[in-house]
Amino acid sequence: MANTVIQVNDLTKIFETKKEKVTALQDVNLTIKNREFVVLVGASGCGKTTLINTIAGFEKPTSGEVLLHGEPVTGIDPRCGMVFQQYALFDWKTVINNVDFGLKMKGMKLKERRELAQQYIDMVGLQGFENAYPSQLSGGMKQRVSLARTLANNPEIMLLDEPFAALDAMTRQVLQEELIRIYSESQKTILFITHSIDEALLLSTRVSVMTSRPGKIKQFLENDLPWPRDADVQLHPRYQELKSEVWSTVQEEVMKTAGLLGADKDKC
Amino acid sequence: MPSLSGNNVPGLLKGFKLDLRVVSVISLVLFITIWESIIRAGLVAPLFLPAPSMIVNDFMRLYERGEIWFHISASARRVLIGFALAGSIAVPLGILLGASKFLKAVADPLLSILRPLPSMSWIPLSLLWLGITETQKYSIVFMGSFAPTVLYTIEATRSIDPVIIRAALNLGASRARLMREVILPGSLPMIVSGLKVMLGIAWTTVISAELVAADKGLGYLIMDGREFFRTEQVLLGMALISITVMTIDIAFRSVEKKIIPWMEG
Repeated sequence: MANTVIQVNDLTKIFETKKEKVTALQDVNLTIKNREFVVLVGASGCGKTTLINTIAGFEKPTSGEVLLHGEPVTGIDPRCGMVFQQYALFDWKTVINNVDFGLKMKGMKLKERRELAQQYIDMVGLQGFENAYPSQLSGGMKQRVSLARTLANNPEIMLLDEPFAALDAMTRQVLQEELIRIYSESQKTILFITHSIDEALLLSTRVSVMTSRPGKIKQFLENDLPWPRDADVQLHPRYQELKSEVWSTVQEEVMKTAGLLGADKDKC
Repeated sequence: MPSLSGNNVPGLLKGFKLDLRVVSVISLVLFITIWESIIRAGLVAPLFLPAPSMIVNDFMRLYERGEIWFHISASARRVLIGFALAGSIAVPLGILLGASKFLKAVADPLLSILRPLPSMSWIPLSLLWLGITETQKYSIVFMGSFAPTVLYTIEATRSIDPVIIRAALNLGASRARLMREVILPGSLPMIVSGLKVMLGIAWTTVISAELVAADKGLGYLIMDGREFFRTEQVLLGMALISITVMTIDIAFRSVEKKIIPWMEG
């Protein structure tokens, strides 16, 4: 399919330590089409991050493959822009130098890349903080910088690994709505990871649920909630239907893990 | 709103609140006054412990002969030259070894042997090889700070969060760019704090070397005082070491703020 951007085929990832083997992912299959916003939901420790890291090229598959436009991913590919939960900002660079980093790596001239970086800084609402260092910013502002940095590099695909998990509820909602706006305005394909069903339903065009240990994809769900979206979408009757559908799958998984581990307090 | 909780306590204490710097100054003045009066009262012989005023007199005596600055600068030059030599080789080497597992394996055994050696243990060998010369002093400082600085730098480059490195690679950084834009600045704060510790150790080393064999320097000043039973000169030497090291530490901190502007506080 020409429309397919990312294709994951029978992906298995086993981490080997001296003592044991941990199967993080087993036979994962996932297809993401152009302009889709896929949200992957799963309990903590189910291998979501391993999956996104393998797609980004940070990890190599034990078996199976990840295809980007039909070609296997062999290393870190700047076409997949990553946003990390821990922001991963360069503490020694000011906001604008963080945002224009990717452009600098591409060899763009200073004046040009400053102008472009400024656009993205404005886009995420950080005007006035261009010359601040990350240590002077709040968590929400840091994640805005991280978003702007990835967006400025103009990747075709954005990979977001629980980007809002460390933020307070209000900041999270603001940033979720901003991400919706960015998605609507840009032509990007997005893979987003979360353990929150609400976040998944608010953002996605399609939700997929991952099982725990070993991580497998258990359920795909077309999210047909109307666009444009904001937090009010939670009042839509269809929202509750979708939520209970996802929850029943997630719950089963959480119960299984909880049964195995005794007390796993994963919230969804 | 009436408040009976503890939050009006600070208000009550406010009237008594002193500037803590004033407290420190009073503490120092008190310490010196008590010391001075004990000696003046004849409770301790000045040969064992001279009064602060005697130390000041000795300072004036040496100051008029231009010896104060002479000895300070002699020691300081030894520290700075030895330290600069060690640092300018050890830091780049540490960064290189931090980046290459192979080279680290090559250097590891030698560094492990060198690291536990106190710098003073190099004094006999350095005297044998180089005699009582300035080069001998530099070499002592060099040997004392080289291996720890290399190891500190390796650790600093390793301390960078792997996620930061992934982020840089994801944004298209090449290996060379990663080195210059991420690993180097990312490890700089730790390297600088390592150098600060090493600078303190370099001072200890130089003074020890001067106590053993030297014809000038603060360590020499102390030994010279001891030989002629000039205890005030011994104490003056000690006070000068303390003041010099403190001054250099303050200077280093302001340099630190300039080269690591992103660190707060």
